[in-house]
Amino acid sequence: MTELSENVISFENVKFSYSGSDGVYAVNGVNLEVGRGEFLSVIGHNGSGKSTLARLINGLLEADSGKITVFGMDVAEGKNSIEIRKRVGIVFQNPDNQMVASIVEDDVAFGPENLGVPRSEIGERIDWALRAVGMDEFRHSTPTRLSGGQKQRIAVAGVLAIKPEIIILDESTAMLDPKGRREVIEVVQKLNKEEGMTVILITHFMEEALLADRTIVMNRGEIVLSGTPEEIFENGDKLEAYNLCLPKITEIINSLNEAGMNLKNVLRPEELAEEISESFKSKGITSAESSPATFSENLCTGEWDIDIKNLTFTYSKKSPFATKALNGIDLHIAEGEFFGIIGHTGSGKSTLVQHLNALIKLPQAGKKFKKKKEKKGQPKPVLPSITVGRFNLADKKCDFRALRASVGMVFQYPEYQLFAESVFADVAFGFKNFNKQATTEEAEKAVRESIEIVGLDYNEVKDKSPFDLSGGQKRRVAIAGVIVTRPEILILDEPAAGLDPLGKKEIMELLHKLHREWCKTVIIVSHDMDEIAENCTRAAVLAGGGVVSCDSPSALFSERDKLLSLGLDVPLTSKLCDGLERSGITVRCDCTAADFAAKVKEIYGGRADA
Amino acid sequence: MLNDVTFGQYYPAKSFMHKSDPRIKLLALIAYIVALFLAKNFYGLAACALVLIFAVIFSRVPLGSVLRSVKAIIFLLVFTAVLNLFFHGGEHLLVHWGIIKIYREGIIFTVFFVLRLFFLVMGSALLTLTTTPVELTDGIESLLTPLKWVRFPVHELALIMSIALRFIPTLIDETNRIIAAQKARGADFESGNIFKRIKAIVPVLIPLLISAFRRAEELGDAMDARCYSATKNRTKYKKLRFGWRDLIIFLTFASLITGVVLFNIYAAEIFPQIYEYIKLS
Repeated sequence: MTELSENVISFENVKFSYSGSDGVYAVNGVNLEVGRGEFLSVIGHNGSGKSTLARLINGLLEADSGKITVFGMDVAEGKNSIEIRKRVGIVFQNPDNQMVASIVEDDVAFGPENLGVPRSEIGERIDWALRAVGMDEFRHSTPTRLSGGQKQRIAVAGVLAIKPEIIILDESTAMLDPKGRREVIEVVQKLNKEEGMTVILITHFMEEALLADRTIVMNRGEIVLSGTPEEIFENGDKLEAYNLCLPKITEIINSLNEAGMNLKNVLRPEELAEEISESFKSKGITSAESSPATFSENLCTGEWDIDIKNLTFTYSKKSPFATKALNGIDLHIAEGEFFGIIGHTGSGKSTLVQHLNALIKLPQAGKKFKKKKEKKGQPKPVLPSITVGRFNLADKKCDFRALRASVGMVFQYPEYQLFAESVFADVAFGFKNFNKQATTEEAEKAVRESIEIVGLDYNEVKDKSPFDLSGGQKRRVAIAGVIVTRPEILILDEPAAGLDPLGKKEIMELLHKLHREWCKTVIIVSHDMDEIAENCTRAAVLAGGGVVSCDSPSALFSERDKLLSLGLDVPLTSKLCDGLERSGITVRCDCTAADFAAKVKEIYGGRADA
Repeated sequence: MLNDVTFGQYYPAKSFMHKSDPRIKLLALIAYIVALFLAKNFYGLAACALVLIFAVIFSRVPLGSVLRSVKAIIFLLVFTAVLNLFFHGGEHLLVHWGIIKIYREGIIFTVFFVLRLFFLVMGSALLTLTTTPVELTDGIESLLTPLKWVRFPVHELALIMSIALRFIPTLIDETNRIIAAQKARGADFESGNIFKRIKAIVPVLIPLLISAFRRAEELGDAMDARCYSATKNRTKYKKLRFGWRDLIIFLTFASLITGVVLFNIYAAEIFPQIYEYIKLS
């Protein structure tokens, strides 16, 4: 840990409430001290007051009572605000909403320009800031053409150019893919270690929170726990009381300790692998192999199979900006699957799924398509084709409305598409569009059923404005608005993005419930490898517009190097299996945490009996 | 739907025209338009055309792209041409068909009028084809600087313009996403009468507005956090500089205006017979 010489931020009994919140404090009596050069992580459920805390530090919000001092300056005094903002930089969640200019260097220059820094020095600061985040080659690029991680690193550079001493990341990694997240976190760690910058990292990702010197947990505006990450995650039941989940690794440890393995509460997969093999050694187990993983091989063909052949798609064809999004995709998704689609940002995932309900139409089905004359000696070009159940999407006469009623599509952040004055009207929108002749009673029945299945109380929410609901509730309403037509196939793009850990868990439980009771096939697009490993029967990895591999999670995630090189990651369980493999223990599991724990117990228990 | 909007129709290339100062290009366009309207005969118009041709050649933009910009006003062009053709009076009657009378002077005037509009649009298009919106904003800000003397918020205006430009692609993406999402819920934007179509836009418009406000709020916070309005003596990192290209453009357009004025005065003395035939009124 860094030597903490002085406090740079201090909160004394700070309270803050938003106007119109009926006296509910978003930050309620917070006392906090942050030392120079410290790396502090802040976790807590959505609405626990984490972001409010960040905005109080640099005076974007003003506390109702209590005292906040930053570098000895009182934040409440207006004359200090610029000096404080010069020394405390914030990087926000959405990279798109922090960019002022259309050229990278102009955007980075914005802060120094505001401060009246001389021109030649601005140039030097841009050089330095872009090099610090590893984006110097993009100096003259347009941010809109960069990936999420790159954009967010530009945002970090824009803050660095002001030369702050404290940098706050307010869920800055929430919207990024694994690679983007790694990139941003590496930059921040480097700044902390090499430049001695004080870092406050607000995050929903437990594995990011672990990197800090100290972690604080917020619940309903209060700091309820504070300590090293190890100390925090030791008391799991408390975390659950604060609407947080245990990290997956702690769950595995707890499960193994129930079988008497007596493992230490570690937080990193390499350490746990070490712990497990130590525990095995103490029982005299140095090499072992678990029973093979069992798979529910139910890839029978059904009525609602999806078949994609040679799918190719180019955006902005015939313009200087033409980009090939999909390049010869072949994919078969059987009825009844819980299918995952993985790939980094821009790998073509969204383009692919939008073909499945003809939001993007195949060329033959479009109006402009002209048959090219066949040339002698050249093979006939294979035209892309998609069939979804009885629908042939390449057919011009295909009933696209009926198709869309059977293939439900939930977009990323679906709550941003809510529009109606009441929850009822919003959910009924889709139903009425597809069932023009339906009676009011039928509509009411359908809406009631879908609001209830997503876990909301129909009578309580139906007349409310969707905009008055909480984030998690909004997302449920948005999902209800799609499943109201009772689709056979449900496609969700990043269904859990931006939610806190508990919200994520609940949404995935909801999807399994829908899969059991309403929809035959569920397809999710996700960045979260653990989510795929825990939930999917099979998954496809997309890269560069093509399918790189398509298999069960355990087969998929055995190719660790390949996935890493594609900007992806592997789930925790495969990291653990890898670690154990190195000490001679082979665990074959289907990549879920439960199965991993069962297999380890089997090895442990098996020898114990012998 | 909105996929193929390449905003500002900028054509990326490295040419003489692309590299010259946006301010001089703006001034040149103004000079060019003035010249077009000063010209009272075809000689002046020919001078403008000559300059335009050279500008297109030195811009390395394919002629097709420049001509495509005229497509937008083709209706206006045909409409006014027809009106002029039928209702312009004169001495030499050529066609008399019912109430329609076409005079030689009418034809000449129509040709003159159409060419003038045509050159005007091509010239303006060439500016946006060779100048990025960002450069254009910088140029406008710099040209308006004198207005600071009368406390006109030049910098704020420029910042508003550049933020608007910055967010256009983002909002187009967002619009496409919302349209797709509502289509997936069975929304129909393509059929029905005008009222039905307007009503169909509501589920797109409301989420878009809400999102724009949310973005605006977050951007405001981000700008505040980066010390916006910290000092009145804001510096500017990028400075526009005049170069040899700009001098050439300046000289070309200065001589264009002079040429047009001279043609106006002395046109009758150049090829008097031809002039007699093509003069306007």
